[in-house]
Amino acid sequence: MAGADVIDDYLTALDRRLRGPEHVKEDLLAEARDSLDDAAAAYRDGGLAAEDAQRRAVADFGPVNRIARDYQGLLALAHGVRTLWTLLLVVPLARVMWELNRSFWIGSWPAFDPAGPPPDWYLLIARANDSAAWIVAGAALGALASGRLLARRGWSTVKLARLSGLVAVGAVGVSLFGNVSIMIATALVDAARLLMSPPVGLASLVSLVIMLRLLVLARRCVVFSTI
Amino acid sequence: MKSDALRGHLDALLLATLDGGQLHGYAIIEALQLRSGGALDLPTGTVYPALRRLETAGLVASEWSTVGGRQRRTYRLTKAGQRALATERTAWREFTAAIEGVLGGGPWPAQT
Repeated sequence: MAGADVIDDYLTALDRRLRGPEHVKEDLLAEARDSLDDAAAAYRDGGLAAEDAQRRAVADFGPVNRIARDYQGLLALAHGVRTLWTLLLVVPLARVMWELNRSFWIGSWPAFDPAGPPPDWYLLIARANDSAAWIVAGAALGALASGRLLARRGWSTVKLARLSGLVAVGAVGVSLFGNVSIMIATALVDAARLLMSPPVGLASLVSLVIMLRLLVLARRCVVFSTI
Repeated sequence: MKSDALRGHLDALLLATLDGGQLHGYAIIEALQLRSGGALDLPTGTVYPALRRLETAGLVASEWSTVGGRQRRTYRLTKAGQRALATERTAWREFTAAIEGVLGGGPWPAQT
């Protein structure tokens, strides 16, 4: 029956316009299908033929481009919230694991000799890098809390998604910059430290890979919220 | 009724529709149309994103449940949603009272 595909065609067109977490998209489309099926059934009960009933249901649902914008906002927000939670949990955890690994394999850092104490700029970078994980976690937590308040004040899902993307990109940028900075600084001051313990070196590499993965997630926040 | 005018009140209308208990999406749309005498003719596809946004705001909670033998996502007001609805109702009554005082066509108060 030719008319049996009207709702399917509409949902396929909607699906093609959406980018974001698959499980959220499937959930949204399943709900949309329920609504369209209900509306078509109501029109059939009112005496319309099956195809006409589906066409009316689809027309009532709205132009696919307009509806896709609203749905894309939801997907972008869902991805943004998930990314912020990931930052909140993973960045401090990676930091703590790295420190535990370092204290197990190396213990306390040996003194910088024979050149004497490290320069002030090195200590500044080291302290900033130590704080970066907690600053990132604080920023993510702040964005999650303020996002809920802003949603109550009527902020659109697209604006909320853009905010989460902005915070995620900034937070990952800070974290990645901190990691790379301390590696470069250590290489300049005392390169032997980077090779002091292979397990610690491996942990540093894993931390860097985690940051790069988080950067991909943060970038997607921006891509998904560009509507 | 103009959809632009409705959009500004859609959140409050959705909260009010859920005041009587949990409903699935299409039942919410039907209730909106029924209670407005058919005047609320916004695209039904815009209702679901609005409901999800209210869920993000913590004013509505949803879950998949079996309704009439079918799996449906049903929505209900949270405590915060009930408080928000009460605030919206108070604001709406004050607004309509003020507008009615001007547009209602009654006698103007005497000038002093």
